[in-house]
Amino acid sequence: MQRQSWRNFDFWLLGAVILLSIFGVAMVRSAIAGNVVLAGLVERQAIYVGISFVVIMVLALIDYRYWSALSRLMYIFAILALLVIYVYGEARFGSARWLDTGLVAIQPSELAKIIMIIVLADYFARNKNKPRNLRWVVTSFLMTFGVVIWILLQPNLSTSIVIFVLWFSMMWVSGLPIKFLGLFAAVGAVVLVLFILLLISGVEIPFIQDYQLQRITNFLFPDPNARHGNSYNVEQALVTIGSGGLFGQGYGTSTQVQLRFLKVRHTDFIFSAMAAEFGFVGTVLIIALLFFVALRCFRAAAKAADPFGSLIAYGFGVLLFFQMAVNIGVNLNVIPVTGLTLPFISYGGSSLVSLSVGIGLVESVILRHKSLDFQ
Amino acid sequence: MNQKNGQRRSEGHWDRWRLWVIYAIIGLIFGIYSLRLFELQIAQGADYHDQADENRRTEVNVQTQRGIIYDRNGIILAQNVPSYNVNITPAELPGDPTAFGDATALATELDPNVQEVYRRLSELIDMPVSNGEINEETVRIFSPCNTDLGITQVVFIADTNAPYDPVNIKCGIDEKTAMTIRAMSADLPGVGVEVQSVRDYPTGSLTATVIGFLGSIPATLEDYYMSKGFLADRDKIGYAGIEATQQDILGGKNGLRVVEVDVSGKELRNLEAPIDAVPGNNISLTIDTRLQGIAQEALVGMINFWNVYFNEERSRNGVVIAMNPKTGEILAMVSIPTYENDRMTRIIPYDYYQQLQDDPFRPLFNHAISAEHPPGSVYKMPTAVGALNERVVTPDQILTDPGKITVIQKGLVNDPGRPIDYVCYEEAGHGDVDWLRGVMYSCDVYFYKIGGGFAGEVETGLNIWRLGEYSRALGYGLRSGIELPGEEDGLIPDPNWKRVNLGETWTTGDTYIASMGQGYILSTPLQVLLSASILANNGVYMQPTLIREVYNAEGEVIRPFEPRLKWDVTKDPVINVYDENNLLTGEKKTIEPWVIEMAKEGMRLVVTDGTAEFPFDGMTIPSAGKTGTAEYCDDRAQEKGLCVRGSWPTHSWYFGYAPFDDPEIAVVAFVYNGGEGASVAAPIVRTVMEGYFELKAIDAARGQ
Repeated sequence: MQRQSWRNFDFWLLGAVILLSIFGVAMVRSAIAGNVVLAGLVERQAIYVGISFVVIMVLALIDYRYWSALSRLMYIFAILALLVIYVYGEARFGSARWLDTGLVAIQPSELAKIIMIIVLADYFARNKNKPRNLRWVVTSFLMTFGVVIWILLQPNLSTSIVIFVLWFSMMWVSGLPIKFLGLFAAVGAVVLVLFILLLISGVEIPFIQDYQLQRITNFLFPDPNARHGNSYNVEQALVTIGSGGLFGQGYGTSTQVQLRFLKVRHTDFIFSAMAAEFGFVGTVLIIALLFFVALRCFRAAAKAADPFGSLIAYGFGVLLFFQMAVNIGVNLNVIPVTGLTLPFISYGGSSLVSLSVGIGLVESVILRHKSLDFQ
Repeated sequence: MNQKNGQRRSEGHWDRWRLWVIYAIIGLIFGIYSLRLFELQIAQGADYHDQADENRRTEVNVQTQRGIIYDRNGIILAQNVPSYNVNITPAELPGDPTAFGDATALATELDPNVQEVYRRLSELIDMPVSNGEINEETVRIFSPCNTDLGITQVVFIADTNAPYDPVNIKCGIDEKTAMTIRAMSADLPGVGVEVQSVRDYPTGSLTATVIGFLGSIPATLEDYYMSKGFLADRDKIGYAGIEATQQDILGGKNGLRVVEVDVSGKELRNLEAPIDAVPGNNISLTIDTRLQGIAQEALVGMINFWNVYFNEERSRNGVVIAMNPKTGEILAMVSIPTYENDRMTRIIPYDYYQQLQDDPFRPLFNHAISAEHPPGSVYKMPTAVGALNERVVTPDQILTDPGKITVIQKGLVNDPGRPIDYVCYEEAGHGDVDWLRGVMYSCDVYFYKIGGGFAGEVETGLNIWRLGEYSRALGYGLRSGIELPGEEDGLIPDPNWKRVNLGETWTTGDTYIASMGQGYILSTPLQVLLSASILANNGVYMQPTLIREVYNAEGEVIRPFEPRLKWDVTKDPVINVYDENNLLTGEKKTIEPWVIEMAKEGMRLVVTDGTAEFPFDGMTIPSAGKTGTAEYCDDRAQEKGLCVRGSWPTHSWYFGYAPFDDPEIAVVAFVYNGGEGASVAAPIVRTVMEGYFELKAIDAARGQ
């Protein structure tokens, strides 16, 4: 069985992930642009790439079906972890998201994404043959909301949206009846109208911060003369991307990056840095590679031995795709600024480790699909 | 599970179309993003590339050094000295200088390390750590070097704007403090001392009239100076004196560097070969600062003497100019009241400037070339020269001065007229007067008669038309073209002028008083000096100049001194010839040399036996000259009620030159409301002349 498993192991997926991660370290190194405070990040990111590799291999070895049994426990753990940061959390950039364990600072919300994939996969797999009625929708929603509420309260709107997107997409693939789409559309419309009314009335809207409204305003009505802030950052991101041209200015030589006109270069706007240094050709290649990773996850979902494994691979594929699509969309100024980073490439240990947990789970799923066929 | 469906099942556990929807979305987004990327990088790539270049390219204007101004002996009159400014680079402070961006919490919440730096600096430069508050108004009007804000507030503003750019905290600190701060740099991280070049006028008010001062480039001239490479908010231009007229020679040319900067404005490297700044040229003036000092002291001393004597402030306005008649070099030019240009080096202090503006005697105004006053009897020389040259009288012809003559004043041909008396200052009259006696005693009646004619003695006087010609030939009524701004041309009236400006007809009486430099005649002190100088130099009019030589920064002479001849009245026909109806004939003529010789003889007699005999008594070096006591009635005199007919207030004039036979120096002195020329202005001229020869002796002794 072991021998067969390794033959099933998706080396293409692992290879792409390792390629992207190493490219990410290189890109972070370039994006640091001589900033002494950030200089240590390259080494840290490299260490995390190493840790990620181990995490992928370990999780690939563990049979993903064990997680199904642990899903309740993990659900409670996720909520507890999110609660702990209210007590011990360290506020960074205005919201308490980090938990400093003494060794490393981890983001429980990153963990919550993976746990929710498992929990929801477990739920939808168990209820595969039950009717897809309102109860099915509402139960899954409440399960999701039980975790998301704590993330919303941090406040961390973007991660909350990611988890809701996960919930909706898993519901969709599990066979959400088309008629419910109308219902969601109606609910969405009501929420939107309510939101706009609240906005006009000036009442403070729960879970929405001023800066988030500001981001939307900046997106819709950018201030061309801004010298700092989101409008300026996005404007400089466009200049940075555009200055790359067809083949780019070359690694470590983009003036926009190296002279630090581009802000938050090593995280949110690393895509722009990459576009400037590697040009249209290089950037399309990297986007293709990222999409390839997501598609390999969907391939695993299609080949999975059981619905649980399939949903895990599918859910993680959605998570990956959604995050990269939003991040690139922000860089290209087609959607408002959010705090989502570019998977595998942006600096961030917590994010990288949780992504590798997801990849490990997907590998675990794909490893075991053939052996199941033989039974 | 069904074996037949195995293939399908292995495709997934879900409806295949649901996955296809997801794939479609992914494909769509990939397509959109690729297109968007194509739009940004390929379609608009060049534009964005230019924008990126614009971000990093900055042109740095490198300030040049303004030329130095020396006097004729190499004494520095204007130079550039280092001025020490203390600055702070906010980004280099040992902590956050903004109290987390909260301006209201500045004083209390500030990083203790930063506070420590501020405290140490505050003690050294005597500036409060925290003063005033940050709001839109204070930020808008903030200007470094000139602020009431405390260190904390200044740094806060700078940190918000450009944290990597040093901001001046205090300017013009003394060198010792600057050195202390430099030595303490380890304890004062982020604090720096910048050396800035500031104009310095070591001789200050002594030469301010000539040198002038600098000021910021005014908004109206910004485009002009920008096109010449000057920087509007940094570079200064001459506002007055030589600094203003020689701006192009002194100014030099700024250099230019195209540099790459990072987002904080920090310079990284030159992108293009830098264009070096070209320093301004140095100028040596014709002024002898020592003589300038003697002249100023003589003028001020004399004015003070008479003010004390009469126990009232009769005057505080006067001029002394000395020049070499043979070369046109101005050796000294004093105009008082003057101002302290050394107080205007860094900025022009508003209070001081206002004080100067409010002074009725206008210290910023160069009285030597811009003030127009009636010249009085010094103007009798053009009349005297004209009368001889036009054969109005012969030198030996005797005219009678009974002390008073009466003429019938006729406005129109058929006007019956009315009798008006014209008196001599000597009530008893000078009796029988020939030409030389007329000059030496400055006999008013003699000049009435030769100027306007007198029935029975002088049938046809010189008349105002011809007087104007001789006046202009001797330098009156025209701008000389000296290298100073604001020179005036004076006024030589004629009947047309009176008709146009006053709507009245010219009368014989007008000619009478014009003949002795009164009435409508106005001239500047420089013009009076020029008339003396031209006569002293045998009719040769040398261009008066303040500039001796121009050197480049290496000290090589690029424009040596060459005396410039304007005209020689004995050779160049500068006198227009009028016919008997006072119409121009188109002919021109010269002044005959013997007339000039007579004029010189007359002026010599003034000193030996005439009106200036007493003030020049005992002077070893023979000189010649002419006194002037010019009646005036200006606004100020009228206000004081001084304009009483028959005893108007008078300006004191004297011009002279020495040595008589080979003149080296011509001097004019003018004292506003000074009284008699002989008792006030003449002694000043004597002091300057004697000073000149004493200096010459000293220089000669040193040379040997």
